[in-house]
Amino acid sequence: MIKEKIISQIQSGDVKMKPKYYFVLGSLALACGIIGLTILSVFLVSVVAFSLRTHGPMVVFRFEQLLATFPFGVVVVAIVCVGFGAWLLKKYDFSYKKNFQLLIVGFIVSVLFAGWLINYTGLDSVWTRMGPMKEFYKRYDGGAMNGPHSRIMQVRNYRRN
Amino acid sequence: MNDVEKLSDEEIVEVVRSRDQELYAVIIDRYQNKLLRYAKNLLKDDSKAVDVVQEAFIKAFINLQSFDVRMKFSSWIYRIAHNEAMNVIAKYKYELPIPEGVDFESEEDLVETFSKEETREKVNKCLLQMPMLYSEPLSLFFLEDKSYEEISDILRIPIGTVGTRINRAKILMKKLCQTNQK
Repeated sequence: MIKEKIISQIQSGDVKMKPKYYFVLGSLALACGIIGLTILSVFLVSVVAFSLRTHGPMVVFRFEQLLATFPFGVVVVAIVCVGFGAWLLKKYDFSYKKNFQLLIVGFIVSVLFAGWLINYTGLDSVWTRMGPMKEFYKRYDGGAMNGPHSRIMQVRNYRRN
Repeated sequence: MNDVEKLSDEEIVEVVRSRDQELYAVIIDRYQNKLLRYAKNLLKDDSKAVDVVQEAFIKAFINLQSFDVRMKFSSWIYRIAHNEAMNVIAKYKYELPIPEGVDFESEEDLVETFSKEETREKVNKCLLQMPMLYSEPLSLFFLEDKSYEEISDILRIPIGTVGTRINRAKILMKKLCQTNQK
């Protein structure tokens, strides 16, 4: 009974097989989405780190200034991005034979590490001077790298390197 | 037709995708009864089980191009049936009776002592009283003859978890079966 019903639906064209390219495009879109989300999360973490760094030393004493310019929205977006990435991983069964918790912790640690690396190598400072994100980074630039604290930071970086 | 019978599920799927869609009937023949039994165990309702199996076959056909022929077709179709059954359960808010006073202290393996047929009958009866968390892997293991790896593929849980659930289900089954016999 089930067989006859299904075969007649196939013969009549009521039930059609989706073409292969549909799934290829779907997989590509999903892969691009996850890669894009990861890049966005790394970028947002780096903006937060950059904002903290450019507010210079003695941050506690300039807490109000930091609060006024701190990119809280960016932090929220970063958390949402990481959460959405985790949801995608779970939903599309990439993780069912792996330790899902470990996968998520690994993802978050990787994003934080990449954000820190951008900050450590000074790539974000380069981006305030050139590139498509120049204006965006400038908005979160606390000015410590150009103001009175810049000399201290430069010496610290020199010693560190 | 005899030549077709010799083909594996994955080979038939390849032919259905590339040349002859009506050959899907062979796939339905092979899995219809197995999936019906599986769905009935999950839903405890014959008519809903028929709907679930029918929907599972239709969805499998529509998405056949996404099936990776290097994988096992049986795990794939069971997974689709499982998802359909879960949707129905969520829709009708099935409430399966969870037996009270059940513990997992006993390690004795009751199942080994039964013959295969006896086990099937007993498993069938006891499954009706078990929470789905344990009844589903147990029914796949005993009634559908699936390996731990296949069950892991179908339920999307790690193999270790499959083993744990089946072991607990056996203990639970022992308690339930003994209660029934008294």
